[in-house]
This record gives sequence, C-alpha cells and structure tokens, in this order.
Amino acid sequence: MKSLGSIRRDFAPWLDRGAAPFIRFEGVTKRFGDFEAVDDLSLDVFEKEFFALLGGSGCGKSTLLRMLAGFETPTKGRIVLDGEDLSGIPPYRRPVNMMFQSYALFPHMSVEKNIAFGLRQEGMARSEIADRVGQVLKLVKLEDYARRKPDQLSGGQRQRVALARSLAKRPKVLLLDEPLGALDKKLREETQFELADLQHQLGITFIMVTHDQEEAMTLADRIAVMDRGRIMQVATPAEIYEAPNSRFVADFVGNVNLFEGTVRSVEGDRAVIETDAGLTIAVVSEAKLGTSQKVSYVLRPEKLKIAADPIPGPNAMAGEVWDIAYFGPVTAFHVRLDNGATVKVSMVNATRQGALQLTWHDRAFVQFDEDAGLVLTQ
Amino acid sequence: MTGRISKFNVVSLVFGFAFLYLPILTLVVYSFNASKLVTVWAGFSTVWYRELWHNRGLMEAAWVTLRVGLLSASVATLLGTMAAIALSRYRRFFGRTLMTGMVYAPLVMPEVITGLSLLLFFVAIDMDRGFWTVTLAHISFTMCFVTVVVQSRLLTFDRSLEDAAMDLGATPTVTLFQVTLPLIWPAVAAGWMLAFTLSLDDLVIASFTTGPGATTLPMKIYSQVRLGVTPEINAVCTILIAIVATGVVVTTLLNKRRLVRQARDERLAAGA
Repeated sequence: MKSLGSIRRDFAPWLDRGAAPFIRFEGVTKRFGDFEAVDDLSLDVFEKEFFALLGGSGCGKSTLLRMLAGFETPTKGRIVLDGEDLSGIPPYRRPVNMMFQSYALFPHMSVEKNIAFGLRQEGMARSEIADRVGQVLKLVKLEDYARRKPDQLSGGQRQRVALARSLAKRPKVLLLDEPLGALDKKLREETQFELADLQHQLGITFIMVTHDQEEAMTLADRIAVMDRGRIMQVATPAEIYEAPNSRFVADFVGNVNLFEGTVRSVEGDRAVIETDAGLTIAVVSEAKLGTSQKVSYVLRPEKLKIAADPIPGPNAMAGEVWDIAYFGPVTAFHVRLDNGATVKVSMVNATRQGALQLTWHDRAFVQFDEDAGLVLTQ
Repeated sequence: MTGRISKFNVVSLVFGFAFLYLPILTLVVYSFNASKLVTVWAGFSTVWYRELWHNRGLMEAAWVTLRVGLLSASVATLLGTMAAIALSRYRRFFGRTLMTGMVYAPLVMPEVITGLSLLLFFVAIDMDRGFWTVTLAHISFTMCFVTVVVQSRLLTFDRSLEDAAMDLGATPTVTLFQVTLPLIWPAVAAGWMLAFTLSLDDLVIASFTTGPGATTLPMKIYSQVRLGVTPEINAVCTILIAIVATGVVVTTLLNKRRLVRQARDERLAAGA
C-alpha cells in the first residue's frame, strides 16, 4: 500500500523499524464488573508524537487514558512508559499529567496557585516556582490573569489555565481528555492551531482522547480509531480517511458511499464488481481479488463527479437529484440512480454559480474513476 | 407572577408567622416583666437578667451545656465527616449497605430508646455517669446528622478535582487537606452547627445519661418549670433564642455575600 503522509512529513517514527516506542500498552484489558471497557489492547506511541484516540462514547478511549494516568488499574496486561513498567505506581508518582475535560481547576485557588500546585508537591523552591508559573502563563498568554480565581475567567481562559497547569511540571507525556470539547466552534478552531504549535514547540508527547474526528484529523500525527474496547485501525489521518481498513472505520470517519457486492471478473489489478443494489462498478484494486468473492466498496462523496450532461469515462451513471445540502464551500447531493440505488456526491463550489445548475428532481449524471474508491475484502 | 399582593396571601402570611412566633414573642416580652408573676405585666425591667447572673444553678447548667455542646459537636463533626467521605468515596466495600443503613438509623430512632440503650450500656461497662457520659451520648446521636449533611455535599463534589490534585503529585492525604476539605468546608461547618444545636437543646438523652454534678441547661429549665415558671426561665430562654438567631442571621448574610460575589465574578468573566 502506498504510504499516505502525516501532518509533519519528516516525522514518522512508526515507520522506522529500529525506533523504540515511548509508551507501550501490552495486552491491556480492563473490566468493570461484567463490562469489558478495554479488551486485550496493544498499542505503541512514540516520543514527541501527537496521538489521538478516536471513538464514540463507551469505546474505552477514556478508560485507556485513565489507566495511563493511574486512576484505573488494568485487569490484565501492562503499560510501559519510557522503559518503566507503570504497574503499581500511583497517579501522584507518574511522570504524566492530564488536562481534564471539565478542566478541574481548583475553585478556591487563584490561577497562579492552581499552576503552582503541582510544583509545590515536588518541593520546588519558592523563587523557582514563581519563575516557572510566569513561563507557562506567558506560554498560554494569560500573564494578566495570574491573580484571578477560575470563576472570574471565561471558558477559553479556563481551558488555557488547565493546559498551563498540566504543562507546568514538564511531564513526559501530556494526556488531554476532550481538550476542546467545552469550547464553541470558532474558539475551538483557533485553539486547535495553538495546541498543535505548542506541542511542536515543547516536544512533549501528547495523547488526546476525542470523539470529534475533525479535531483528531487536524491535531494528530496518528489516530487510533476505537470501538468497543478494541483498536480498529492505527494510522495517519490521511490513511484513516483514504485507506480505512474496515467498513467500521470507513463509516465512522467522514462521509462515505458503502456498497456491498460480489466480484464478477478479475483481470490483473482490474476487476468488475456487481453490487447488491444492482450497480456494475469497474475498479482497480490494490488487494488481490478472486471471482465471486464478497467485497465492500468504499467511495467518498467528493471522489464522484456530477453534472447535468452525461460525463465520459468509466463508471458513468444517470439518475435524479433527490436531495441537496448547501454548505458554502461544498454542496452535497443525494442522487437516486435509475436502478434505485442512492449515491452521495459532494461538489466543490469552485465558481459562484457552481451549485445552482442542478436542483431537486433534475436529471443528473455521475461518474467516478476506477481508482476513486477502495475495495475492502473483509 | 403579578406584583400585587392579594388579600388572601397577606392573611396567610400573618397567620403563618403568628402561629410560628407568637409563643416565642410572649416568652421574650415576659422576660422583661417587672413582676414575679409570669402572666401579669407590671412594667419593663431587666431585673431577671441580673437575677439570672446570680442564679448559680442555672449558670452552672449553662456552663455544662456549653462544654458538652462544644466538645461533642467537634468530635461528632470529625467522626461524621470521616464516615461521609468513606461512604461516598469507596463505592464498593464489604458491608457498605449495612454501614449506610446504620449511619442513618439514629436519625429516626426514638430518643427515648437511644437514651435508654446508652444508659444500659454505660451501666454495663460500669462507667460513672456525668459530664463524660452525656458528652459521649451526644457524640453518638449527633454524628449521623453531620454525616448526612457532609455526604449530601460530597454527592455534588466534582471528583475530577481530586483526580487532578493526585495527577499533579499530591498524595491522598495532601489532596484531602488541600483540595477536598477546603471545598466542602461550608458543609462541615453547617454539620458542626447542627450538632451543636442538637446537643444544646437535648433533654431526653441527657436525662438518661447524666449523673450528679452534670445537669444540662434544658434539664435544669425543665425541672424548675415543674416547680413553677419564673421570669428567670424566660430570661435564659430569651438569651438562647438570641444566640441561635444571631447564628442564623450571620450564616444568611455570609451566604448572601457569597452569592453577590459569585454574580460579580460571572460578570467579570463574561466581560473578560
């Protein structure tokens, strides 16, 4: 398979066979009574990586984070950080710090006291504490708010204080539990970039838990997609999106057309698939296919072309515009094809009139290339 | 809601307050009566307050009550808070349901039974009855009230604050003293106040468990009233009411100030 790049092109320790992982989860299982939150999970995270655990609620991503922080003990397996087995080490002796979803700022302490709290536990000298607090406050641009109480701050400022507090001790790993979850959309986008910059600047390993795929895609070097206590795929954002390894990942990340079908003929790396909905699709497959094999075909909506006139090329089809959603930069169409199947197509509005040419119940033609989609054999 | 007050509401309010406070008002007014007869008004005087000062029996009883109250409320608060933390922190331990039930049982136990069982216990272990037995008895019956008050505060306590403290390197003990206790402090103080008040006004349990030389104020008042009400009793009760009322007013004002400050903080945060 072609390797798809991560955000930082020159940073890909997971491809280096000689690189030692910084954090290792080795066959970790966590049960709460009968409920298996994390199921025999193994995972390597590398130094200076920005790693995201992505999944729906109850998929075990937060439990995994809490086990790394030391708030939960694995039922089975072990976690190794920088060569040190963390089993039996209480949270207050682990070289990791966490930024909580609720921020968990101490309401009875000022901003600077909050940040100094962790440093005081280390028995650091008073003057040194003051220096360090000043540094991190500058880092998150809150120098003027040192004496305020958390109640006297806005949501965005609280988020920065929480970040500053968890960075003050210079942990080996920073854990972030839905770090931007409580912010509004505009602020979230701004903060995303700041967070990414901060991580590059500090060179600390970040592990983030999120249910927001956009957040994971923007921030992370690699993403682990989780479902029911297991990891479904670990890969760079581009790989997760363009080369999902399963129907679940394809469906969970982004919008997708998923076709179930059977291989009718194979010729080298080319094949023809007949879908259960009655479409005949010509594909180029990287995976080896055999005749009458059951496969799934994954096709992202933006890989299709749509027009009011027939489009030349392979996989040209015709149908009726069933639904239109206008998003500004793109317009999404639902097209009901002549044989009854529905496909999702999204079109970039490259010109101002782009979206306006087609409207509800118009005759529409769609087309996609043989290598536009991905054949999944599982 | 309309701004106008209906006649019906005014009448309800007047009757309600009269029902609650008329007996108390009568007591306060007659404590300033110049006459020795409680029911006959003979002009304003503070003579009974001066008499009270010289009534050694009453003053001694007041002193005993105060010491029992302070000591038992403090110990009950310590034990009750510990129990509340244990019950709300450790969700699953052997005998948790049993312990929860046992903590709450004294709340509904008839005082006569509590008093009698304590008396039988003190007799069984051959403990001389007096100041210490009353104090122990008061600790045992006020502790559960403290537990209830503190536990209800802990229910709404954000546990991630404790997680955060430990994540930042604080041991469980440091976390308790620097994060948990400072934040649940108002509930602990309220528990102490409740325990102190309950101890101050307990008659039944004190009567069962006391001995010579340790007569509490409620017992003294009760025994004197049986010989006839004197204006001195009115005076001492008025003082008790004043103490309790001051406590209530101070608490209310403190709460109000906190709310005002909170509102100001929110405005500041919004404007920031």
